[in-house]
Amino acid sequence: MPSKMSSKMVKTMLRQCLAIARREILLIWRDKDLRYILLLGPLVGLLLFYGIYSRQVLVEIPTAIVDLDRSQTSQELIKNIGAAENLRITTFAESYKELEDLIAKGTVVTGIVIPENYGRDLSLARQTRLAMIIDGSNMIYATNATSTMLSISRTLGAQAGIKTLIGRGIAPNQAQAAYQSVACSEEAWFNPTLNYAYFVVLALGLNMWQQCCTLVACMTIAGETCAASWCQLKSLGISRLKLFISKSATQIAAFIAAALPVFFLAVMVFKLPLHCSLPLFFLFNLAFAVALHSVGVLASSIARTPVNAARFGMLIALPSFLLSGYTYPLESMPGLLQTAAQALPQTWYFQGLNLLSFKNPDYALMSPNFLAFLLISAVCYATSAIIVAKKT
Amino acid sequence: MAPLIKVEDLKQTVGKQIILNSLSFQISSGECLGLFGTRGVGKTTLLHILAGVNRFKSGRVEILGYDIEKNGAYKKQMGLITQKPSLFKDLQAYENLDFIAALKGADQHNIADLVQRFVLHDILREPVNKLDAGVYQRLSMACALLNEPQILIADDLINDIDPFSQSIIRRELNSFLISGGTCIWGFSRIEFCRCTSRVGWLEKGTLAFYTPQEAQAKWDRRWHHIAQQNEQQDGEDYA
Repeated sequence: MPSKMSSKMVKTMLRQCLAIARREILLIWRDKDLRYILLLGPLVGLLLFYGIYSRQVLVEIPTAIVDLDRSQTSQELIKNIGAAENLRITTFAESYKELEDLIAKGTVVTGIVIPENYGRDLSLARQTRLAMIIDGSNMIYATNATSTMLSISRTLGAQAGIKTLIGRGIAPNQAQAAYQSVACSEEAWFNPTLNYAYFVVLALGLNMWQQCCTLVACMTIAGETCAASWCQLKSLGISRLKLFISKSATQIAAFIAAALPVFFLAVMVFKLPLHCSLPLFFLFNLAFAVALHSVGVLASSIARTPVNAARFGMLIALPSFLLSGYTYPLESMPGLLQTAAQALPQTWYFQGLNLLSFKNPDYALMSPNFLAFLLISAVCYATSAIIVAKKT
Repeated sequence: MAPLIKVEDLKQTVGKQIILNSLSFQISSGECLGLFGTRGVGKTTLLHILAGVNRFKSGRVEILGYDIEKNGAYKKQMGLITQKPSLFKDLQAYENLDFIAALKGADQHNIADLVQRFVLHDILREPVNKLDAGVYQRLSMACALLNEPQILIADDLINDIDPFSQSIIRRELNSFLISGGTCIWGFSRIEFCRCTSRVGWLEKGTLAFYTPQEAQAKWDRRWHHIAQQNEQQDGEDYA
């Protein structure tokens, strides 16, 4: 008899949980805006960012040359500069002043000034000074241009040095060896071509995803307790925990479902790198979805209205990508910001995503991220529970 | 027979304003208590306390032997119809019935029976926020009765709705009472007191009990008095 009773209770509980889950799906599906935001937002974001970074590396930085020497040597140099992968000579300026104007107007990003007597000084083994000017107002351009310029100047210096030594009667192979006594081999691991698309596209797409998910999570409590139907739910005597778990599990499943097309498009179609085991990747995303949901729930429990809940959520979700240290190192931020960033699940997510994309990490390497998700979820859910118990 | 609902020294305040001032009363099984009062006197507050929707400042409320502050098990034997539309507006009519039935652990067959009794066939696929007031109220009552409750709490059950819906709701309320159900019905129009077995008149935070006839007579006297005062005033103004 007692087993019959408990089986009936389990059946009733299961029926209740499924009914709540079904309603939650209908709620998301019937709210057209919410549906489009959750399902299409991240996909559109990924497509957009893939389009933006489709060239994958920054090439053809507009460059101007001021050739004050006009010698055969300077022409050779210009040819070498033109052959550099990242630079594209677009303009030949007559003077330094003209170059200044071109950079100020944004017509070119870099400029190289070849001084008068460049060819002569080089042939006489005298020191000569090339001016390389970079527009620092655009950091992405500037970093790439600087790197290219450094590479050119290093090659030029070596070439000139070897020529001088040969001119002084040293054998060519000895001259070359003298300049290459310290051979520096530059190897970029994990992303050898320094591909921008590999680095940012998936992260930016998932940033859109996490923002959309936060919006949905922010409705969990405020959306229910501020509605007139809250009266019905309270009078039905359904436990708040059962209601919360059923709603939350459905929302988290919806978050993962919304992310799946993004992962498919990114990895299978755009061939963005994902060097990790699939179960680990899935588990990592699931753990993040739970942590993210807990933050949304906390915002939802504090807010007085659903609109305010969404505002709180956006206040957290929007800057979280920048705070995560994905595009700018966390270590370079002030201590207070570092601490704040570490309290956000997005920080642990984007840091972990980088590892999963490039470094094929094992569970041990990812364990701090999982632990952070667990802690954030526990704190946020517990705090929300206290707030909701007091409020309702 | 032990009372189904027992209220002792119930007090409720909003800010510094006392809404319910030490109310004590009992409701027996099979009774239909009309809770009468003008708008804003605290009927909804009292009904929501009994339904377990709102908390209260002090006192003790016992329903079906359960102290409602400590145990919500009585809710399984209760149905609520609210004054303001409180069905799930994101769901259609049938989905509301289905959802509430699932949450109440009610038999699925009850839905079909209630749909027939409340003549809801034609609106089952309609979103509830598009329903007319009368149809909405029929659906609300059908939802409240899904679990075949012992107690029905109704706030403004048939106020300002079409005659067809009124007649169906009255018929079903009678049938509920005949089958042994207990009802507390809040209203602000005195003519509804005829449908009740006892009237609790809520005024200035206190509750006084009358037979329906006594309540009607009290109301009539009051109106007569007000009318006399108005006539006197008009006379003075004319003079």
